[in-house]
Amino acid sequence: MVHGVDLVVEPGERVALTGTNGSGKTTLLRAVLGLHPARSGVIEVGGVRAGSAADWTRRRRDAAWIPQKQAAGRFPLLADELLASSGAPEHARTAAEELGVGHLRGQPLHTLSGGQLQRTYLARAMGCVAAGAGLLLADEPTAALDFAGQADAARMLTSLPVTVLVVTHDRAVVNRCERVLEMAAGALREIT
Amino acid sequence: MTQLFDLLALDAVQRAAFALLLGAIGLPIVGVVIIGLDIVPVRFAMMHIALLGIAFGLLTGVDPLLCAVVACGLSGAGLAPLARSASGLSGAMGLLMSLAIAAALLVLSISGVNAAGAFELLWGSILATRTGDVVLLGVIAVVVPGLFFLRRGQLALLLHDRELAACSGVRVERLTMVLLVLVAVAVAGAIRLTGALLVDALTLLPALAARRMAHSLTGMAWWAVGFGVVVNLVGFVLALLLDQPPGPVLVLLAGVLALAAHLIPERRTPEWQSSPREAVSPH
Ligand SMILES: Nc1ncnc2c1ncn2[C@@H]1O[C@H](COP(=O)(O)OP(=O)(O)OP(=O)(O)O)[C@@H](O)[C@H]1O
Ligand SMILES: [Mg+2]
Repeated sequence: MVHGVDLVVEPGERVALTGTNGSGKTTLLRAVLGLHPARSGVIEVGGVRAGSAADWTRRRRDAAWIPQKQAAGRFPLLADELLASSGAPEHARTAAEELGVGHLRGQPLHTLSGGQLQRTYLARAMGCVAAGAGLLLADEPTAALDFAGQADAARMLTSLPVTVLVVTHDRAVVNRCERVLEMAAGALREIT
Repeated sequence: MTQLFDLLALDAVQRAAFALLLGAIGLPIVGVVIIGLDIVPVRFAMMHIALLGIAFGLLTGVDPLLCAVVACGLSGAGLAPLARSASGLSGAMGLLMSLAIAAALLVLSISGVNAAGAFELLWGSILATRTGDVVLLGVIAVVVPGLFFLRRGQLALLLHDRELAACSGVRVERLTMVLLVLVAVAVAGAIRLTGALLVDALTLLPALAARRMAHSLTGMAWWAVGFGVVVNLVGFVLALLLDQPPGPVLVLLAGVLALAAHLIPERRTPEWQSSPREAVSPH
């Protein structure tokens, strides 16, 4: 599905990934986390190639991931449990307050609206970074947000002191990234 | 009433009541995990595997029921790698079930034991509870809630979404394996208590009722244990009073409770509708 991708992202760099639906952007992000087994090729993060299960666990913990499909899940999970899973519960809770979803902490995720859920995932990512994650992998992190939320989230995501790889079609986010790449039919092209 | 107290003075009755109380602490939490992992047919698989263990025990002279529990535990561990996909576990359990029963019948035939004798051990009877069963249930009553409360954050993530759990530093493979072994051993233990056909009363039914009452994993576990204690104790006393076998009475009571829980309209919390801030200052 994704092939011939040759991408080097420098530490601290902010890279936006755009491209047609189904071109493989989500697949690429998931491959970085080992959620989508790569058939060939190597993905190194921080110069480390993941081999063992422990390597993958470390890489996943070192990354803040905002999935595109924020699944309702098979089993109820409280918003606060999601925030706590970041590794820095207090930071994530503060971020949730700032994002206007602090009062929903006691609610199960399946009762949140799409935008509320996305804000909660954003707050979790803030917690992950506070807990030491050095890489933010965000998959359309502002797609469900209202206008004000899009602007806030774009500012929040791109002012973190981490390497950012963000799949997005949101102008506000794209404009705040140093590099913009376009993916077409599983291959990458640099735009700026 | 005096008749009831006479019965309660009996050793076997006391041991049975104690076993049911112990079972009510650990097994309903196992039921919650069974629902969370989406492996409701697990008891059928364990029934067949237990039979294979019993057959092996009869062949070798080792305690057949111990063999049954060990066989269930091993197969739980063997199933763990298949939990990666949602449909992996159910499919594998079906296959395991057929293989186990075929192997069991073969072993029984080789050992020259009457198959009916082996099947009999699967029926279980609460009043025939042995000390070994009580010990097993006691271990489950300590280990299951203990593990649950120590690892509830990781557990909630795993049961909600495997990938999210993996990305939160949970070692999903290892945790899944521990859960499957616990489920397998606990179901084997419960089968001894009520028999294979009635094991739901102790595990699944309290969990199903609890699922309706709570919106979080921890809440569900509390409710499930509460339902379990009520069903087991009330059901047992009722069975003694009515002079009927406890197993079916327990299942009926648990079933009625689960049904009643589903008839209660779903709880709505006020925050669900709108945020308090919006309620104060409309834009
Ligand atoms: N689990 C899956 N199994 C099989 N094919 C898949 C799976 N997930 C995605 N695909 C396929 O892989 C291709 C790339 O999908 P991907 O989700 O990476 O696209 P995308 O660029 O993120 O699209 P979008 O902009 O719609 O989010 C698509 O053709 C899709 O149908
Ligand atoms: Mg996508």
